[in-house]
Amino acid sequence: MRLTALDPAARALGLSAGEPLGRVRARIGVPIRIRPADPAADGAALERLGLWAQRYTPRVALYGSAEACHGLHLDVTGACHLHGGEAGLLDDLGRRLAAGRIPARLALAETAGAAYALARFGTAERVRVAGDGTAAALAPLPVEALRCDAPTVIALKRLGLKRIGALAAAPRGPLARRFGMSLVLRLDQALGLRPEPLVPLAAPRRYGAAQGFLEPVLAQGGVVAAARDLMGRIAPRLAADGLGACALRLTLTRVDGASTVLDLGLSQPARAPARVAELLRLRLERLGPGLDAGFGFENIRLDVTALDRMPELQGGLAAPPEPETGALADTLRQRFGRAPVRLEPRASHLPERADRVVPWQRGPGPAWPGTGPRPLVLLPRSEPAEDVIAAVPEGPPRRFRWRAQVHRVAHAEGPERIAPEWWREAGPERDYYVVECEAGRRLWLYRSGVHAPDRPAAWFVHGLFA
Amino acid sequence: MEFPDDGAEPVSLPAGAGPSAPVPAARIAALRAGIAPRGTAGPVLSLGAPEIDGRLPGGGLGLGPPHEIAPAAEGDEAAALGFALALVARHLAAGPGEALLVLAPGHPLPYGHGLAALGLDPGRLLLLEAAGDAEVFGALEAALHAGLLRAVVGLVAEGLPLIAGRRLQLAGTGALALILRPAGAERPNGAATRWRIAAAPAVRDRFGRAPAARWETRLERCRNGRTGAWLMEWWGAAHRFDLSPGLAGHAPAAGGR
Repeated sequence: MRLTALDPAARALGLSAGEPLGRVRARIGVPIRIRPADPAADGAALERLGLWAQRYTPRVALYGSAEACHGLHLDVTGACHLHGGEAGLLDDLGRRLAAGRIPARLALAETAGAAYALARFGTAERVRVAGDGTAAALAPLPVEALRCDAPTVIALKRLGLKRIGALAAAPRGPLARRFGMSLVLRLDQALGLRPEPLVPLAAPRRYGAAQGFLEPVLAQGGVVAAARDLMGRIAPRLAADGLGACALRLTLTRVDGASTVLDLGLSQPARAPARVAELLRLRLERLGPGLDAGFGFENIRLDVTALDRMPELQGGLAAPPEPETGALADTLRQRFGRAPVRLEPRASHLPERADRVVPWQRGPGPAWPGTGPRPLVLLPRSEPAEDVIAAVPEGPPRRFRWRAQVHRVAHAEGPERIAPEWWREAGPERDYYVVECEAGRRLWLYRSGVHAPDRPAAWFVHGLFA
Repeated sequence: MEFPDDGAEPVSLPAGAGPSAPVPAARIAALRAGIAPRGTAGPVLSLGAPEIDGRLPGGGLGLGPPHEIAPAAEGDEAAALGFALALVARHLAAGPGEALLVLAPGHPLPYGHGLAALGLDPGRLLLLEAAGDAEVFGALEAALHAGLLRAVVGLVAEGLPLIAGRRLQLAGTGALALILRPAGAERPNGAATRWRIAAAPAVRDRFGRAPAARWETRLERCRNGRTGAWLMEWWGAAHRFDLSPGLAGHAPAAGGR
């Protein structure tokens, strides 16, 4: 375990990110408080901050993989005058971030690369560099500020090129030959000689509707009817964008302020209010007394939490559209809390890895490749077959004991040799036999590894044939 | 504007026609269905072997009422599951649609490649793991009420009780409904037929391979039909049941002992 982020107090103790936790504990005598890193939550928080920063400019981009840290690019071209010029914008941004207790370093420069370098490696908390001063401002910064990969930085330092100024003065031909075009590209992007495309953050469109009630809703039918009305308000907006809801969230707020959240999942995009109401009815029936209405719900809100494309379909002129199996799958899911699944093949020769369970969806599944004989039921773990007697060590067994029963083999087919996937794990190869016992039951047995005089091979039962 | 409610041609009998005039065959069939006892009218799944179909009411397994399948002894569960899924595969092969398999705890999921080898496309099989027998019956009933599936199979841990059997029978509308229960959990229920399945030594071809699964099936109970016992072979590629004649000793490699 290593440190990933520090607060100012910890930094004052001389700790740095990347240090092993055990060494830190041993090195410093003071107790420290540690929280596990949650990169997903960090990313989500940064995205929220980015959406907030769209108040300054519509073009906000999060730091990408090249920056390898957290931050935002704001393209404020043409947006500064709204906040009293560049200085005014910087002041306003800094003040608001400080009010939100978000520690930040701000840099305003001609290029995204220069702004990144100044914000991360500059000396001042808040920098503003005018157009022609970019090269001069970058010159004293270390080469890490160019967003190159670590080997390049180490090699540059070994060559004595520690500052961007030295790098910019060096002849470009040898640099490009030695380090490739990416270093030159990064340098040019920081100096504004070449453009750098940013990927602006797009605010997700939200689909939701809410309804307040003067008279609280107490009955289940009332909740369902309200949800149907809300979906009826959302559906035209979804239809206009060619989208359908894959997941919905219903928030029920009680009179006393407590709220209940119900998540509804759908196996295929839908926007029909009647369908949503039906699924909600099933869900409420399953909950039964588990849903405490108290003195009634005074606010009901329906949000679409997952979207998918749903093109308009031409329906029949007179007949209503055919109900589909997907509707049944959703019904079962809402009623029992578990979605129906189906099996799909996976590209592997190992029997236990060769199929997998996926949520059921309509439409033909992938084709199943032809294989050797495969059992109808594969045991979750192969079970050892004991006291195996074979005519020859390399041949099929004649008698074995499995699940406390002795099985006499009447017939055996095989072997089919299946080697383990060496890129995943090493192991002995298996020789599979289809074995028919005297009672007619057919089992799938395998011998693990090759028989050796000093080490008899182990046998396992892996599956049952129909 | 009015349309005739069905496609039947209006029959106009000539004035002089007496009771001996020919009556359309469809009409006779409809009249027969009207007087037939409950459970024998309606569509059936023919097993493809005349000896068996002749004993079943209507010439096959009735679509609608549940059919009960049980292994003959402990250890024959895979054979019973194979027989049930073979029936589903035969029914699915006859037309478009999906099947639902609901499993009570204790029943393992079938293996996809094994299903494919049995002739059942795993892409057309919905699997649902239920928390108990009551949930299995609830799911089957919901699926039958929706009327969207071709076949439903329930793998139960306790057996088919009378009430659940009756409810399934009433919910059933044209879908093949099978209940697979463990050996020895016998009780009166509303099942139309009861099958008892045991594994049987497979017939071997010239190369010593077993091209078809083989089961000893006993039709123990058959409402409005006759019981029987057969040695059945299932040919997955052709979706066909065959009655085995005494072929077991025929192949030179049989036994291989």
